[in-house]
Amino acid sequence: MNYFQLFGLSANFNIDLAKLSQLYQALQKTVHPDRFAHGSSQQQMIAVQKSAMINDAYQTLKKPLERAGYLLKLRGTEMPSEQASFSDNQFLMRQMDLREMLAEVKFADDVDSALFEANQTLEQEFLVLFKAMQTRLAQNTIDADKLAYEDFRKLKFYQKLQIELERLEEQLLTD
Amino acid sequence: MALLQIAEPGQSTVPHEHRLAAGIDLGTTNSLVASVKSGEAQTLNDESGNDILPSIVSYQADSVLVGEQAKSHAISDAENTIVSAKRLIGRSLEDIQSKYPSLPYTFCGDENHPEIQTRQGLINPVQVSADILKHLNTRAEQALGGELTGVVITVPAHFDDAQRQSTKDAAKIAGLNVLRLLNEPTAAAVAYGLDSGQEGVIAIYDLGGGTFDISILRLNKGVFEVLATGGDSALGGDDFDVAVVDHIIEKANLTRPLSNVMERQLSQQACWAKEQLSTHDSVDIDLSQGGKPWSMCLSKATFNGLIGGLVNKTLRACRRTLKDAEITIDDVIEVVMVGGSTRIPLVRSEVEKHFQKSPLTSIDPDKVVAIGAAIQADILAGNKPDSDMLLLDVIPLSLGLEIMGGLVEKVIARNTTIPVAKAQEFTTFKDGQTAMAVHVLQGERELVEDCRSLARFELRGIPPMTAGAAHIRVTFKVDADGLLEVSAMEKSTGVESKIEVKPSFGLDDKKITQMIVDSMTNAKGDIQARMVKEQQVEASRVIESIQAALAEDGKLLSSPEISVIEDAISSLAKITQTSIAADIEAAIEILNESTATFAERRMDASIRTALSGQSVDEV
Repeated sequence: MNYFQLFGLSANFNIDLAKLSQLYQALQKTVHPDRFAHGSSQQQMIAVQKSAMINDAYQTLKKPLERAGYLLKLRGTEMPSEQASFSDNQFLMRQMDLREMLAEVKFADDVDSALFEANQTLEQEFLVLFKAMQTRLAQNTIDADKLAYEDFRKLKFYQKLQIELERLEEQLLTD
Repeated sequence: MALLQIAEPGQSTVPHEHRLAAGIDLGTTNSLVASVKSGEAQTLNDESGNDILPSIVSYQADSVLVGEQAKSHAISDAENTIVSAKRLIGRSLEDIQSKYPSLPYTFCGDENHPEIQTRQGLINPVQVSADILKHLNTRAEQALGGELTGVVITVPAHFDDAQRQSTKDAAKIAGLNVLRLLNEPTAAAVAYGLDSGQEGVIAIYDLGGGTFDISILRLNKGVFEVLATGGDSALGGDDFDVAVVDHIIEKANLTRPLSNVMERQLSQQACWAKEQLSTHDSVDIDLSQGGKPWSMCLSKATFNGLIGGLVNKTLRACRRTLKDAEITIDDVIEVVMVGGSTRIPLVRSEVEKHFQKSPLTSIDPDKVVAIGAAIQADILAGNKPDSDMLLLDVIPLSLGLEIMGGLVEKVIARNTTIPVAKAQEFTTFKDGQTAMAVHVLQGERELVEDCRSLARFELRGIPPMTAGAAHIRVTFKVDADGLLEVSAMEKSTGVESKIEVKPSFGLDDKKITQMIVDSMTNAKGDIQARMVKEQQVEASRVIESIQAALAEDGKLLSSPEISVIEDAISSLAKITQTSIAADIEAAIEILNESTATFAERRMDASIRTALSGQSVDEV
């Protein structure tokens, strides 16, 4: 049973998050180990397994990027290994620029606004790619999925940059 | 008006007997026990009418004193009287000595298993907690008139795996059945949430004697979903006392090291002064000794200056946790104050300023955690089968493994909802490598040395292969108590070698059994009797739950399947009459195994029912 089936949803990228959360809570109300705290150890073990699976399914489907990756895997899209190189030189150049941008934040005269601007830039570029991926995923063809997978890999890069930016922010604001 | 319910004929809805259960707040400074009596959670008192038990244990020559009685020895007999043992539990010696350099105890034991030298011999901090738990258990049994089926024990949300495991070990040594370890802020939310029936995001600010927790929860139709939790497992009211003590020492021109008696006396004075300053603008501290008069005045302003930095530290943790929860201050509809240290006016005003709303304090901050734990214990014991309440908690700190270069690879991120199971694959570094050292760590930092080491084990018997060819799958499982279990398996050749470890920073099973034996007066006979009894209780619990399941869902099984289970039930029932614990345990195991498929089918059926219920709602 895949994660979409587990929640009785059809395997589409666009899902109703409010409904997902409602389904998640309903499922946890039936399987959570707390329901079996006075039961046998057998019941408790199965409850832990099911509850952990439902948690994982929920976390995967809730986060758009994780959901996209999961959906592509379900559709059997060919995935080169994570280390495989990109052929898109323009994208790689842009990544280097963005890394440089992050490295320079701490030397800015106004650190606050440099952080804010960096965040804006990352968010905007992420959104453009994300929308492209969303459209391709909706087409649900082998070719479109291949392209969507490229977008997905690129979005992962942006995600890493965003995490780095957050770390930087924490560092700069607590010093 | 609510309609009265009538059962279908023949269905087993006979109201089962009320099971006695209690919630225990095992605090750094004070501990409490509470239970639901006639539908209402209330703290339980001792003979003199006090519900608060100072978390102090004094090891006298021929007795173990707990609470107020122990407190009277805290100054005169500091070496043998352990206060704030919760700060020591599940910690290494180095950790303890660097955080609390002026403790009056003589530490023995090895680095990972510190013990305190007392006149009753070496005492482990786990033992101290066990003695407090035993005391509270006795109180609860007297107040409720029977043996407890189980307890919920609260721990700071920020407690790491070793500290949680040690707390559970303490309960085991005290002979308690732990239904759940519950995070203190979540317990407080339960106590408040049920009262007010609110929906939305709430923040729980919990500043106790030794620990600080901040938890952000979303409430929705009986579900308490913890979005993020943060804090400091070594920051609390005790630290305010330390700041005051340091101030007094400076003003009085004293130089350390001071005598143990003097240290204890100063910290009691500091604690008293701190409490006075919650209602007074200044306080006189009298430290006259042997006819040498000396006193000083401590103003509220000076006190606020001394603790301001610590309070700010808690607010920084609040900011970080809100960010983790992806919530802004405007989303927070309510702030709940928990823990005795939230009585301090500066703490209240700073929290109010930070969250831009006045915090909830209507339930006594000393009792709110125990009350929440009691409500949860009542539900977990099975006394409220129709309850809609569900707690979805998270792990407070990331879990990971050591990889090449002394780095930590995170396997489960902090604030992941529990229970959780995650697997990650690793490979060998050298050609022909046949073993792999697995080092399990907890914490947010990237370097091994900056994280908490939880366990180490070796996976042996990997078939020799070229470097990078082996696939070692390491699985992390965190249960609903927040406790971790790790297993590793080599899978590339189809040859599976597997090892399971439980993080045992504190005590191994042998040591725990030894401590249980030691705690019994008539050692051998007692422990055997206790083990038999434990297995008998477990057997009847298993039989009862399986019979109830058969009555409800027998339709999921064929008649041969039913008779297999029924046979296992009757043979277990027969064996239970005997007094050999191992035999009963084996029979329970057989019965459990015979019901594995049934349990799985029931669970799947209930998932289907839950889903169909949802789609009906939508129509």
